[in-house]
Amino acid sequence: MAMWITGAGVITAVGHNISEFSDSLRKGRSGIQRLPAADAKSTEIHVGAAIRNFSWHSFIEQHENELPVIGSRASKVLRNTPDSVRWSVCAAIQAYKQARLHLLPISSRRLGLIIAGSNLQQSYIFENVVRFLREPEYIAPRYAMSFSDSYQVGVISEILSIHGPGFSVGGMAASGNVALYQALGWLRLGIVDACLVCGAAADFSHLELKAFAILGAAFTGEPSAEPHKACMPFDRQRKGCVWGQGSACLVLEAPESAERRGTGNIGELPGASCLLDGNHLPNPSLEGEVCAMRSGIEDAGITAEMIDYLNTHGTGSPLGDQIECEAIRKVFGARARHLCVNATKPLTGHCFSSAGIVEAVATLIQLNERFVHPNSNLESPIDDEIGFAGKEAKRFDGEFALSNSFGFGGVNSCVVLRRSTSPQQQAGDLS
Amino acid sequence: MDKESIFEVIKASVRRVLGDVAEEEIAAHKSLVDLGANSVDRVEVAMYSMEQLDLKVPRMELSQARNIQGLVDILHKHANRK
Repeated sequence: MAMWITGAGVITAVGHNISEFSDSLRKGRSGIQRLPAADAKSTEIHVGAAIRNFSWHSFIEQHENELPVIGSRASKVLRNTPDSVRWSVCAAIQAYKQARLHLLPISSRRLGLIIAGSNLQQSYIFENVVRFLREPEYIAPRYAMSFSDSYQVGVISEILSIHGPGFSVGGMAASGNVALYQALGWLRLGIVDACLVCGAAADFSHLELKAFAILGAAFTGEPSAEPHKACMPFDRQRKGCVWGQGSACLVLEAPESAERRGTGNIGELPGASCLLDGNHLPNPSLEGEVCAMRSGIEDAGITAEMIDYLNTHGTGSPLGDQIECEAIRKVFGARARHLCVNATKPLTGHCFSSAGIVEAVATLIQLNERFVHPNSNLESPIDDEIGFAGKEAKRFDGEFALSNSFGFGGVNSCVVLRRSTSPQQQAGDLS
Repeated sequence: MDKESIFEVIKASVRRVLGDVAEEEIAAHKSLVDLGANSVDRVEVAMYSMEQLDLKVPRMELSQARNIQGLVDILHKHANRK
């Protein structure tokens, strides 16, 4: 059974709201820039897509007129929280507002919350370890709560008055899709009427970045004069993934709840999958990815022939991209050539815990606004049997999309998305 | 160090933790609760003040303070023991 999507919000390196994000997708604008040399010296990570020039304080001020109670709670709570939490809250407020939950509320006990991702405040933890080593007495007392991912659940539920079920779920880079899979299950079981699914930014410290570098999973080369070209999914010259900061939120809702409230949808989530490889290592599994894609499509009650667009996991990892291409050809056969296929990570960076939600938002924007964003860095594709989008955005009219996320530790999760089925004036333009 | 200087340090900590409190609101006879501080805010105000003054006061002793003046007195006692 398909569930509706009634709200979306996003904060990434290429947009602090849906409208800016949509514009960047259309233009193929990348948020990947050179990182401070002093940091790169220890991490070997020279480029990344960091969230820049975003002030949570200004964001709250802009929304305070329409959302006075939420704004006042947010101003108080966010003052002393790590950035990852602030970005989650701001993305969640965007989605909440678009779903018009402030104007057409539902019972707070029937509203759920899932935070996608684990180990979300690593850079905050790292700072406190440094403080501890200097003087244990003077670490941040708040650390006792805010080191935990559950802190994000507490903060968002307090600000938005969410009193239904809530927790955080982890699945490494597939966390976003895993959270959507979980929320879809709750809605189908009738446990909630609506659920906010918030992809939290993985705020990596030098420790995580260095570990990815040592493992060979991240791009460690010296950037050329054009750092935005460092992430090259599906290209013969690809050299690893480039990290990004991003937070995104979707409101999933049972159609009857949205209809009762008199609100339309901005898209649908008809199906999702989450399957394990039985493997603790980072290596991808062809069989696992094929099964996850097939399972998601089957769960949606459609066939592979009905999928028009594929948002790949596509990180730019040498082995990961190759296996994903093989999996796409196995699932779609000759149709792979006729799909529209792109990777959003060259624009946003690999947002890790939130990647699934960020990319679900990117997918909904493209379906509703009738375009596919370019694969700006794809010069020489590794597979000529797949319909990769070109170097410019192009017009595209499709109904169903598949979005892939594959995490270390054999977590394969796919979601099927459908463009808005409400009249445009009711659902509101996503931008 | 005199009590007035310690009060100034506490005032700065209050503003750091609570942000939107007007300077004239922060008076010695008021408690941190009066100023809108929750339990975690109160620990933070004490901790930031100790850090600024380079002091370590046992937590049990800090919890005896009933208002800002009480906190000034405790920190003053320890500052002058050094």
